[in-house]
Amino acid sequence: MKKIDKKAADSYFREKTRNMIIYFAIGFLASFGVVFFAEPLSDITINGFPFHYFMGAQGAVLTFIILLFVNAKMGDAIDRKYGIDENKNEQISSGKVLDH
Amino acid sequence: MDTQFLVSLSIILATFALYIGIAIYNKAKETSEFYVAGRGVPPIFNGMAIGADWMSAASFIGMAGTIMLLGYDGLAYIMGWTGGYLLLTFLLAPQLRKYGRYTVPEFIGDRFDSHTARILAAICTIIISFTYSIGQLSGSGVVIGRLFEIDAKIGTMIGAVLIAFYAAFGGMKGITWTQVAQYIILIIAYLIPVIFMSLQLTGNPMPWISYGELVGKMGELDRELGISEYFAPFTNGTKWQFLALMFTLMAGTAGLPHVIVRFYTVSTMKAARWSGAWALLFIGLLYLSAPAYAAFSRFILMTQVAGSKIAELPAWTKTWVDTGKLQVADDNGDGVLQWNELIISNDIVVMATPEIANLGMFVIGLVAAGAMAAALSTAGGLMIAISSAFAHDIFYRVLKPNSTEKTRLSVARWSIVIATLLAGLIALNPPGAITQIVAWAFALATGTFFPALVLGVWWKRSNSQGVIAGLLVGLGVTLAYIFAAKYGGFTILGIIDTGAGVFGAAAAFAANIAVSLMTAAPSQKIQEEVMDLRYPEQMVYKDGEVWMNEDGSKSV
Repeated sequence: MKKIDKKAADSYFREKTRNMIIYFAIGFLASFGVVFFAEPLSDITINGFPFHYFMGAQGAVLTFIILLFVNAKMGDAIDRKYGIDENKNEQISSGKVLDH
Repeated sequence: MDTQFLVSLSIILATFALYIGIAIYNKAKETSEFYVAGRGVPPIFNGMAIGADWMSAASFIGMAGTIMLLGYDGLAYIMGWTGGYLLLTFLLAPQLRKYGRYTVPEFIGDRFDSHTARILAAICTIIISFTYSIGQLSGSGVVIGRLFEIDAKIGTMIGAVLIAFYAAFGGMKGITWTQVAQYIILIIAYLIPVIFMSLQLTGNPMPWISYGELVGKMGELDRELGISEYFAPFTNGTKWQFLALMFTLMAGTAGLPHVIVRFYTVSTMKAARWSGAWALLFIGLLYLSAPAYAAFSRFILMTQVAGSKIAELPAWTKTWVDTGKLQVADDNGDGVLQWNELIISNDIVVMATPEIANLGMFVIGLVAAGAMAAALSTAGGLMIAISSAFAHDIFYRVLKPNSTEKTRLSVARWSIVIATLLAGLIALNPPGAITQIVAWAFALATGTFFPALVLGVWWKRSNSQGVIAGLLVGLGVTLAYIFAAKYGGFTILGIIDTGAGVFGAAAAFAANIAVSLMTAAPSQKIQEEVMDLRYPEQMVYKDGEVWMNEDGSKSV
C-alpha cells in the first residue's frame, strides 16, 4: 500500500466527474432539449423526417449509445493515466466482495 | 391453419428446449452462482443478458403499436427506456459493483447500516418486481393463447409453470446464459419482418434509413384526411406529460432492482461500464426498429387497407377481426372502409406484421417464439429479484443469519415458485392494461430506489433516518399521485398517472436530504466507504487519504 498524493486522487475524481457532466449535458440536450423545442425544430427535415421526430426515434438513442461507448473508452484511458491495472482490479474485486 | 400451428409450435418447442438445456447445463451450485452467476460474466454477453432481461413483452409486442397509435408522443417510451442507461451506467452501476453485495436491499441495508432500511428496500423490490411480472405473465398468456387457440388464462398458467421451473432451477447463472440465447432469438424475430417490409415498400433493406420518407408522406396523407399529422408533437397529452413520462421511464430504468443486479454479475467497475454500453447497443437495435415497424404498418393500413371495399379486404384482416383486436366497422354504410372506421389495438402491430407483409409461416412462428422469449426472460430476471429480496435480505440477513447455504438456496427456490404462481393467479385477471401495469412499476422505482441509490452512492452525509424517510415519502407520493390522477382526475400541468414518478422522486430527494441534515451524520467508517466508491478498485480511501493497492492483495 502506497499513499497517493491528495492532488492526484482529487484530480482522478475531478476528471471523471467533469466527463460525466459533459456526457449528461449532451444526452439531456438530445432528449429533453429537443422535446422542449419540438415545435420550432419541426421545420427542419433530416432524411425525410421532421427534425424533432428524427431525434425522438433515432437521434437521441444513437447519441446515448455513442456516449456510453465514449464513457467506457475514456474511463479506461483515465484509469491507465493514473496507473490502474485492470488485472489487479479483478483480483482485489473478487476478494473484497462480501461472500456469504 | 393447421400447418401454421405445427410450424409455430415446433419453433417454440425447439427454443424452449434450448433454454431449458442451457439452464440445466449451468445449474447453480453455490449461493453466489444463484444470485450473481459467480460474478464472472464477460461484458458483451452480460450486455445481451441485460438486453433480454430488459426487453419485455411490453417492448416486443406493445411498443411499436403504441408509437403507431400515439405518433410522436409515443417516442417518450423510446427515449425514456434507452436514456435510463446513461443514469444507470454513469451514476450507479460501477459504484454499486465496487461496493460488492448481492442485491439492492443489501446495499441499502449495509450502506445505511439499518435493518429497517434493508427490510423497507426488500419490500419495495418485491412490490416493484411483482407488479412488473404480472404484466409479463399476462403478456405471455396472450401469445400462448393466440398461438394454441386456447383461452389466454390457460396460456398464462402454462407460462407461469415454465418460468417457475427454469428460474428456480438455474438461478442467476442459468438465467444469464439462457438470456443470451433469448436475446439472439428475440432480436432476429424482431428484425426479419421489419427488414422485409422495408424491402417491399421502399426497395431498401435498411428500415432505419428508409422509413423517413414514409413518415413525411404520411404527414401529407393525414393533411388530406384533415387529421393531425402523424409526426405532430403533443397531440395526445401536454408537453409536460411527455417530459414527465420520459423522466419517469429513465429514472425508473436506473432504479429497477432486477436490472441493477445484472451489474453485480460482472468482475469489475470497468466491466460494469462496458456492460452498460453493450447493453444499450443491443437494446438500441430493437428500439431503433420499433418506430420503423409503426411507420410501415400505418402506411400499409392507410394506403392498402383503408379505402378498399369492405367485401374485398385482405385475408389477414379476417383473423385479427376475429380476435377482437381489429375493428373494421363501415359506419357510414358506403361499402368502403375509411381510415377513421379502422380501430386497431396496439398489441397486434408486431404480431400481425408477418401476415400483413405476407412473409410465410416460418416467420410467423419465429415472431411468436421471439415474443415468448421476451416475456420469459424478463419474468425470469424479476423472479430472481423477488427471491433474493426475500430469501437473502429478509430471511438470511435479518431473520436467520445462521442458516446454512443449503437452506438458503431452497428458500430462494421455493420463494420463486410461490411468487410466480401468485403472480400468475393475479395475471389471470390483470388490474390494468399491460403497458399501464409496467408504467406503474417504473413510477414506483423512480420514487423509491432512484433517489435512495443516487444519494447513497454520491452523498456521504445521507444517513439511515434520511433514507427511510425518503423511501416512505417517495412510495407514498408516487402511489397517491397514481391513484389521484387515475381515479380522481387530479393532474398537475396535464401530467397523468404514468408520469407520477417525477413527483415521487422530487419528494423523496427532498425528504432524504432534509431528514439526513436534521439527524446525526453516519459513522466515519460508512462515510469512508462512500468516498471509496469514487475510485477504481485499486485505489482505496482510508483515514482521509487515498491509497494505491499496488500488488493487488485482497485484504486492505
